[in-house]
Amino acid sequence: MKIIDSEIYSLPKDIDYKKEYLKFEAALPEGVILEKINKDKNEIALDYLIAKEFEEAKDQLTPLVEESYNTGVVFYLPKDVKVDQPIKIEFNMDDDNPVVINQNIIVADTASEATIIIDYTSSEGVEAFHQGITKIFAKDKAKINVIKIQRMDNKAKSSDTNIGFIKGQGQINWISVELGSAITVSHYSNYLEGEASGSNLSSIYLGDGNRKIDLEYSMIHKGPRSISNIETKGVLMDEAEKIFKGNLDFKKGARRSKGVEEEYVILLDPTVKADSIPALLCHEDDVEGEHAASAGQINESKLFYLMSRGLDERKAKKLIVEASFRPIIDKIPFEDYRQIVIDEVERRFMDDKN
Amino acid sequence: MERKKTYIEDIDRGIYDIKNEFTYKYKSDKGLTPKIIMEISREKDEPKWMTDFRLKSLKIYNSKPLPTWGADLSGLDIDNIVTYVRPDASMASSWDEVPEDIKKTFEALGIPQAEREALAGVGAQYDSEVVYHNVKEELIEQGVIYTDMETALKEYEDIVREHFMKLIPPHDHKFAALHGAVWSGGSFVYVPEGVQVDIPLQSYFRLNAPGAGQFEHTLIIVEKGASLHFIEGCSAPLYRVTNLHAGCVELYVREDAKLRYSTIENWSRNMYNLNTKRAVVDKNGTIEWVSGSFGSKVTMLYPMSILRGEGARSEFTGITFASSGQYLDTGTKVLHAAPNTTSSINSKSISKNGGYAFYRGLLKVAPNAYGCKSTVSCESLMLDNESVSDTVPVIELHNDDIDIGHEAKIGRISDEAIFYLMSRGIDEEEAKAMIVRGFVEPITKELPLEYAVELNNLINIELEGSIG
Amino acid sequence: MKKTLLEIKDLKVNVEEKEIIKGLNLQIHEGEIHIIMGPNGSGKSTLAYTLMGHPKYEISDGEIIFEDELINDLRADERAKKGIFLSFQYPEEIPGVTVEEFLRTAKTSVTGKYQGIMAFKKLLKEKMEELEMDEEYATRYLNQGFSGGEKKKNEILQMSILDPKLAILDETDSGLDVDAIRIVAEGVKRVHDKDKSILVITHYNKLLDYLNPDYVHILLDGKIVKTGGMELAEEIDKRGYEHIRAKYSVH
Repeated sequence: MKIIDSEIYSLPKDIDYKKEYLKFEAALPEGVILEKINKDKNEIALDYLIAKEFEEAKDQLTPLVEESYNTGVVFYLPKDVKVDQPIKIEFNMDDDNPVVINQNIIVADTASEATIIIDYTSSEGVEAFHQGITKIFAKDKAKINVIKIQRMDNKAKSSDTNIGFIKGQGQINWISVELGSAITVSHYSNYLEGEASGSNLSSIYLGDGNRKIDLEYSMIHKGPRSISNIETKGVLMDEAEKIFKGNLDFKKGARRSKGVEEEYVILLDPTVKADSIPALLCHEDDVEGEHAASAGQINESKLFYLMSRGLDERKAKKLIVEASFRPIIDKIPFEDYRQIVIDEVERRFMDDKN
Repeated sequence: MERKKTYIEDIDRGIYDIKNEFTYKYKSDKGLTPKIIMEISREKDEPKWMTDFRLKSLKIYNSKPLPTWGADLSGLDIDNIVTYVRPDASMASSWDEVPEDIKKTFEALGIPQAEREALAGVGAQYDSEVVYHNVKEELIEQGVIYTDMETALKEYEDIVREHFMKLIPPHDHKFAALHGAVWSGGSFVYVPEGVQVDIPLQSYFRLNAPGAGQFEHTLIIVEKGASLHFIEGCSAPLYRVTNLHAGCVELYVREDAKLRYSTIENWSRNMYNLNTKRAVVDKNGTIEWVSGSFGSKVTMLYPMSILRGEGARSEFTGITFASSGQYLDTGTKVLHAAPNTTSSINSKSISKNGGYAFYRGLLKVAPNAYGCKSTVSCESLMLDNESVSDTVPVIELHNDDIDIGHEAKIGRISDEAIFYLMSRGIDEEEAKAMIVRGFVEPITKELPLEYAVELNNLINIELEGSIG
Repeated sequence: MKKTLLEIKDLKVNVEEKEIIKGLNLQIHEGEIHIIMGPNGSGKSTLAYTLMGHPKYEISDGEIIFEDELINDLRADERAKKGIFLSFQYPEEIPGVTVEEFLRTAKTSVTGKYQGIMAFKKLLKEKMEELEMDEEYATRYLNQGFSGGEKKKNEILQMSILDPKLAILDETDSGLDVDAIRIVAEGVKRVHDKDKSILVITHYNKLLDYLNPDYVHILLDGKIVKTGGMELAEEIDKRGYEHIRAKYSVH
């Protein structure tokens, strides 16, 4: 199963997105650069863009974005600088601004720290389109947290690529929430290059209606003692289709590294399709790699227990689904966004149109 | 082998077996010709339908490309495939040409000289008839048919015609087509309704026949309520001058029947083992695969269970041991095509001295197959950092009323476990060997004692002085 | 005067470049029972592993002498053959290897004599009965799926089969219920009755109700700071390690 065929894929060109999307009010520490991407400027970005290693990490879609982006953020954190407030980036696609093609470049120098939230929404009924790429370079001891929430309308399409390069004891933590769009492609590749580099990826997804979801998460361990963790929880209902590819790739030299990958999916209707390929690739003996996957219906005794307390089946199921999502939602460090996610799950779940 | 980031797509192509229409370049002077095929068929005095089948398969073979995923097959002289089918007289082997390491292994395993020569394909046929004489008497009494495929084609033509290459049609892939065109030898077993065959039937001796064990066809039918344990191959290394093995195994397990199919494959290290095995299981029937892959240069082997009857069951226990110069691409495929079918997959692999062990599996649940259960477990042991181990299980679920669990683990022998055993006076080598033997125990315990013993010896030979 | 079995002289041990044992002295004679007590992190398990020869524990200084022979550089299996046994605090699980197969191999190695299958079965059965272990354990995989108590009993079973000269018990009493403690203690006593030496390394003194130690040592920050008799154990029991630390700490 392939959700999109990159060979025949092309992007809309020269469509501007005119709305404000970068929201950050507090004063930034000295030396921090945070601005909208500009093809003529952004030296730091370009510096890293041409980085050879990044060339290797490109998939078929990245050159398209690099050619045609109309939005995006460049964010540079100097050495030892910590930005306490989250950087919020919100894209809301509507009739006048239906296309977001964004390239976000985040460079975190040694021991810097920041949290970025990117929220994608689109107005009801608009055939919105999002294609994006987010590139992060985290140097030694830097810590970057990225939360991505995609809750676009069912008429929309969304494709998002994320690539992280982690040096030294740097760390990139991703939280991915995929709740909307007719078609969703969400790919994450993390290159753990340094000694004790780390990356965590926690995600939830909900597939309802005829939605198609394509997830590919890779952790490429190159540095010794690097540690990665992938935790994915999903729910599929109606005629939703999902493909999940999770790759733990231990390259030679990644001694004493550890990678764990877990994928759990709850299936609610007989018409869903769920494909998984949890791959474990290993060129180094002194590593620990583990993956676990499970798929099935909602636990019947739990359902019965809740229904015996007066909940109807739909509500009881919603509660169980929420409970399975909860550990990941709780990792979102902001109450308002946690609530947004919970509300969206509830709306999708209880809405009979789906 | 070159490996790119697009490997997942590569796997998809294999798993989905997309029919590929472009034509393989046909070389009339070197390739297989209808004339050669007709000759083979005539020598065997086959019925016309089989000759036609061979010719049809040949056409398919010539039109199919090599697989574009999995192992590197460039070591096969595919343009000269005729030499695998009809080796020159000058290629006939003699004992002197049998590689030294194989001779040593025979010796270490304590195999008698006559049998050694048979195993290396240079001696006279090992006299299986004598060994099997008593067994046969008993089987005949029960109505069990156990014979070679050539005889079966003559004496049980209708049964053969109804089943032959129906589970593995020649269209399936290039080597299935090749098999269809040039198959020779193999076993035929028919177990009538309700008959329980108590002793395991072994193809061990049949494989020793000259020329056998290359394109052999195994066809087993276990009728309603009957049961059988069939053992293919042997743990001693098998040596052939020609280095392509493209056999087919087709297993029919009827309602309430049970078949256990065990294989210990230990081809010599020059062999390309491209075997295809498939079982179809009817209502409440059971197929159990026990599969050990130790030998060959390249193996691509994924025994498949098609659970087409309600309540059918499949169990797969596999061990792959890849050492220096070996690329062993193994796994299993299960298709849950009926309600309440269950499967369990337990795969283990060991790689050492630069060996490459690849687990590739498919678990598919069809839309109508509600109430299915499956557990998949893959464990890989790496004995050094020269070796490679990949695990790629594909799971496709097309309905919701299922219970699927999958686990995989990779790592090396834990230092703490070695220390624990050493603290009881066991030296380091033995401690490691003990842990490795423990790791493969799930398969050895499924084997008859003589095989288990031989397998353990083999592991000891494999490990001797090589892990550290 | 009884013969000296084990002598530790000014032992210093590093774990991953950090010094844990910082100059430890100890002498154990044949037939003696020694108890080393100490709080968490004092170096108890380090001492146990070092005596057994774990490669991660690096001796930076000092000597371990067993039966007049310097054993600093001996591997674990060589020490086992000399008659040292360690009952692990956390025994490893070894899937696929049965208790019986493992112990028969170990006994063969340690004694240097082939162990006949039937004779060994008999010995194993006898020892298992002593420890009130179900016969079924012999065919189970080594420690796999064993409860904490079963693992500890299995350690004692191994000890009684291998019949060492010096048995080191690392926290063998932790995680055991009352019945199991009694059974384990009786097992230890049977070894001691054969004039073998016992070194109990422990946090609590549960086993001490059953054993009659010759010496009690207190280990603090990698050194033995006080040696005495049962009264020391009782003092720890009553007043806790904080008190002991204040009283005996060399700092």
